[in-house]
Amino acid sequence: MAVVFILLCYFQLSLALQYSDKFTEELVLKPLVQDQIYAHFQFTTIWNVDARSRDLFQSHLFSRALSEVIVRHNVQELHISLTAGLWNYETWGYPIVDSAPGAEVWVWFKDDTNDIDTNWKQLTNSLSGLLCASLNQIDNTNSINPDISFAPTGIISNTLNSSFVRYATLPREIVCTENLTPWKKLLPCDSKLGLATLLNAGPIHNTRYHSLSIHLRPICRNAQCDLASIELTQSVDLVYDFTILGTRNWSLRKLFGQGIMNSCPLADTSTIYVETTNNDTNIFHLSPTPDEYLISTRGGFSSQFAKYVVKERPMTIAASYADKQMYTVNIPPPLYANQYKIGYGQQKGGLVTKIYNNHWAPIDVVVLQNLPWYIPIYLHTLKIISNGTPMKPQKLIYKPGKMREKAHSLELMLRLPAKSTTSIKFYFDYVFLKWQEYPPDANHGFYIGSAIISGHLPLGRNYTGIPQDGSTYASSFNASRKNYFVQIRTEPIVITLPTPDFSMPYNVICLACTVVALAFGPLHNITTKRLVLKVNSDNLLTKLKKFGRSLFCSKKL
Amino acid sequence: MMIIPALYSILLILYVKCDSDTKALERFAENSKGHTNNWAVLVDTSRFWFNYRHVANVLSIYRSVKRLGIPDSQIILMIADDMACNPRNPRPATVFNNAKQHINVYGDDVEVDYRGYEVTVENFVRLLTGRLQPNTPRSKQLLTDEGSNILIYLTGHGGDGFLKFQDSEEITSQEMADAIEQMWQKQRYNEIFFMIDTCQAASMYERFYSPNILAVGSSLVGEDSLSHHVDPAIGVYIIDRYTFYALEFLESVAPNTKRTMGEFLQVCPKRDCISTVGVRKDLFRRNPFQVPITDFFGSFRPVKLLKNIHNETINVITSIEEPVETRSSFRYVEPLSF
Amino acid sequence: MKSHLIIYGLAIFVRVFLIYSDYRENIADRIEISTPLNSFNRILESYYRMSIGVDPYSSDVLHESPLHLHFYKHIIENTGQYLPLVFVFCDVLTAYLLYLFAKKYILNLRIEQYINMNLYLKHLKDQMLNVSDNEAIPLYVTVMYLFNPYIIFNCVACTTTTFLNLCLATFLYAICSGSVIIGAVSLAIASLQSLYPVILISALYLSVLKYQNSMFKAVISVISCISLLVVFIFSSYYLMGSWNFIPQTYGFILQVSDQQPNIGIYWYFFMEMFEHFKELFICSYQINVTILYFIPLTIKFRKDPVLLGICFIMLTGIFKSYPSIGDFGFSLALLPVMKYMYNCMQQIFVSIVAIITTTTLAPILWNLWIYWGSANANFFFGTTLAFITAHIFILTDVSFAHSKHDYLLKYGNDRTINGQPAKLVLG
Repeated sequence: MAVVFILLCYFQLSLALQYSDKFTEELVLKPLVQDQIYAHFQFTTIWNVDARSRDLFQSHLFSRALSEVIVRHNVQELHISLTAGLWNYETWGYPIVDSAPGAEVWVWFKDDTNDIDTNWKQLTNSLSGLLCASLNQIDNTNSINPDISFAPTGIISNTLNSSFVRYATLPREIVCTENLTPWKKLLPCDSKLGLATLLNAGPIHNTRYHSLSIHLRPICRNAQCDLASIELTQSVDLVYDFTILGTRNWSLRKLFGQGIMNSCPLADTSTIYVETTNNDTNIFHLSPTPDEYLISTRGGFSSQFAKYVVKERPMTIAASYADKQMYTVNIPPPLYANQYKIGYGQQKGGLVTKIYNNHWAPIDVVVLQNLPWYIPIYLHTLKIISNGTPMKPQKLIYKPGKMREKAHSLELMLRLPAKSTTSIKFYFDYVFLKWQEYPPDANHGFYIGSAIISGHLPLGRNYTGIPQDGSTYASSFNASRKNYFVQIRTEPIVITLPTPDFSMPYNVICLACTVVALAFGPLHNITTKRLVLKVNSDNLLTKLKKFGRSLFCSKKL
Repeated sequence: MMIIPALYSILLILYVKCDSDTKALERFAENSKGHTNNWAVLVDTSRFWFNYRHVANVLSIYRSVKRLGIPDSQIILMIADDMACNPRNPRPATVFNNAKQHINVYGDDVEVDYRGYEVTVENFVRLLTGRLQPNTPRSKQLLTDEGSNILIYLTGHGGDGFLKFQDSEEITSQEMADAIEQMWQKQRYNEIFFMIDTCQAASMYERFYSPNILAVGSSLVGEDSLSHHVDPAIGVYIIDRYTFYALEFLESVAPNTKRTMGEFLQVCPKRDCISTVGVRKDLFRRNPFQVPITDFFGSFRPVKLLKNIHNETINVITSIEEPVETRSSFRYVEPLSF
Repeated sequence: MKSHLIIYGLAIFVRVFLIYSDYRENIADRIEISTPLNSFNRILESYYRMSIGVDPYSSDVLHESPLHLHFYKHIIENTGQYLPLVFVFCDVLTAYLLYLFAKKYILNLRIEQYINMNLYLKHLKDQMLNVSDNEAIPLYVTVMYLFNPYIIFNCVACTTTTFLNLCLATFLYAICSGSVIIGAVSLAIASLQSLYPVILISALYLSVLKYQNSMFKAVISVISCISLLVVFIFSSYYLMGSWNFIPQTYGFILQVSDQQPNIGIYWYFFMEMFEHFKELFICSYQINVTILYFIPLTIKFRKDPVLLGICFIMLTGIFKSYPSIGDFGFSLALLPVMKYMYNCMQQIFVSIVAIITTTTLAPILWNLWIYWGSANANFFFGTTLAFITAHIFILTDVSFAHSKHDYLLKYGNDRTINGQPAKLVLG
């Protein structure tokens, strides 16, 4: 016989508070101009609560783990991305969400935060635990606070003060299943139901580019914008290569390893969009038939989408191409950039950022260089050359770094002439570190993070981003604005700093001290003793001579 | 839409078998005396692709302890390099223990707590002794107490009396022993099962002097530990012999097993391992053959589902006042406006 | 006079030729010549940063005092493309000051010899300075300075060591005659720039004491030098508006936080040092170069403040945290004034050969390490060690020879005691 005690406590909360959040999931599939297909997952949770009210713990769909982090560290906006691979702007156009290779974090703290540096350090520590990434390696030596490049994407009520923003990248951070696992746990349906079931570690890491991101910001709740909500966007961006897949005829099953089993019951909407804009050149046939075809006209360019609504039953989408493949001429987007290193040897080097403006009118951009402390730059060597003619920046903000303490940041405001290639070049010295400051694989090299070029595009060509006042991908349909904001990340750079011989410490200490002693000994003697004449006493040499002579003599005898 | 009220429930089940056998109750109390929870610290100290096998080793043990019931929050996994998503891995996001790809030891649900450059001697010793930076997240802390049984598994390149970390520093056997003594003095463990797969592994536990430690090493002092086999597709050795056979044994273990630590210590005889598996029992107070393997490799607690459930509902809060939100004029900031 | 003109003309020509040749940049980039302390590139960078409103001391770019920075700023702004000529002019001026110094010093020595003639043995006339030395030695010094490749490269690279050398030459000239004002001012400026010359203050004191024969004036000279230094530092503070520059100048010199290789011993030592021993070794090394020999050498050379000054200049050149070949070139140029004790020196030949060898080897091994990747840091470190050792031998030889020479003049060449062979030893 068993005696059972059960104690159950119900906390029944009022209805109004309960249903103040909603969750939407979207998947965008976009065949790119070459042999790639771009997949973008977007999971958006909007919670109608003012982030300034400290009670963020009674959540329904919003991740409690995240709300603890943002309350504890007084965060207003949080942007994290973990990326492997480099987005190829020149041929792929613009991604829906930009992110730099490796880990990238930028945060706006609330304007009543006292000690930003401490909060920043603590925040990155918490995030490293939350996402299993080495974000705890972020501290003042590799973070900057840019003035212009990172304005808050969400709403603010006070005046803007750029001292509350922090930005850091870890270009070497690897991204793998151990990051995806905790990332998926932040979703309301986890990875059990809905679009998130497609996120299987094997297939999504077998891609040319994969990026996980978390963006959290306050947004307007109503048209008057006198109430605020919190928006949490979790997105995954993937670029599949048909060569890796082995076929151009893709399907959800081929891309993600399985189809969708069921929709997430917590989601308000669950939609899949397949871009069919280029379907007239490279014709593919979609099965099953889409629920709807949409045409979005944005910034003078229109694109077509096939829309599927995920229902409570298993589904998959497959595309089959016509046999003949058409190769189209790639028209690069209006603005893209490269970065590379110049010089040889390990004494002196230079960094060049090339920005291409293909638009017929000038474009204003802001270039942000984020340089770790071990890249001491010579700013007087800065040369900006646009189509062969030297150019002056409209504004130059340089925040010098400090050895072992602070990273360097350089922001340049430029007006790129129409149809131009602008190169920004400066030189730096290779720094010699102490032997314990080198990582275990010292010869692998040290990373310089991506340069970030931010600008407003006047046209919507290649532009896929979500408007600032929108939250879902659907809100980008027909969202014509006066300009379109893009942020382009260039390649990170690896430089091999000269290394000492790591096995030498004791030898070097002994040798150098011997040399010092070579000076000390004689000087000590000369200053403390006087010259005297002394009778030659038997020294070792004469003793040996005598001994030798005696031996010689005895033999003779 | 359906309205489901949020349920915050504290479920407390006291499970007592009243009449039949008080002996069982006593035995239960005896067994669980001191031992209340299980932790695992699994460390791979080797970087670089050609040390793939060490990552496979540590993930094999990770897979087993997770399968046998230790939750991720109580496993501290330290991996010095990324093999799964390494560009050289022809099968991204997988690490196999066998060229025939029997078991993907990496799995789909893995949480690595310390990775890459964070795997250092300092971090390892700090983790064991609990002397961490104040801001360290919970997942990077070993929050053990005097009731914790800890499995410590180390793999990497070692020699007589040391284990190399990332080919740039090393932990000596004395440092290891002192760290464990400090844990004992701070009452951070009940029992430790120390397992190490490296060359001259036995030298690493020879200096231990704290009580309640059972130690096993893949080879004796003066012996090398050998790897099992090569995967031609990967091009490197993919697992070490001792861990391979240990995993084989653990795969046959179910969470409700009756198998004992004594049996586990007999894993990999010399004909399989080529090296001699070293065991140290003198600090351990129990007979390994009477210690269930789940005392270290799992945290299985027998739970019985009861049919005759009596429900009682207490409404604690019936309504909550909606906080009045202050209205203020918000605005979006145009990017690059300054 | 004609020979002088030829010498100066040729020296200027060589410098100007190199400055306006393509080699200039390569020379200026050599780590043996430009160190973090004296690199002209850093001056240009600081000037640029000042012009865009960034505090040059907020970063690790500049390690010289604000007064010097403003001085360079003036030069940069007012000379334009003729800027390197300022360095050539300073170099030539230094050479001329050294000439004047040598002349005066030799004259002083000869006067002393004349006064002490009765103490010396008669047959050792050849050990003493004679009339021809009056002209010859200063000329040697000039030539040794102007055509010393170290000094030429130093000038071509436009390092700020040129100005330090100018100050030190002025100082040497001042202590030959016991001039209070010139001595105090030049020493204060030199100390403001690179800190280590501050130990020369005892030479100033002794020289004023010796040549002006007044304790009061000697003390005044020390006080005025120190107070000048304090005034300079405070005016630097008012110029910059903060004390930021102290950790970046003197803090930087003392802490050796930049491990860029140079020809000294610090860089590799502190690159390879264990972090927890760093403070200990920094302190012992800095004490070694400043305080350790300060009192013993002052007492030893109390009768010859100029030689004391030369020894201190050599010592700081060898053991300063960021030495460049400009410092070594300056001490080498002073060797001819010790001509009278050449035959008491034992290691000078070996040392000079070692210096020439290491000077040739160092760039080769540097290139092997940094550019071709076929050698490592140990090779370059080895040559710098040998280079430093050779200079140490010269320094110890000079101080030893001084005593020996004194002994020689008084007691002659005889090395026997009661007919038994004997040795001259320190006891």
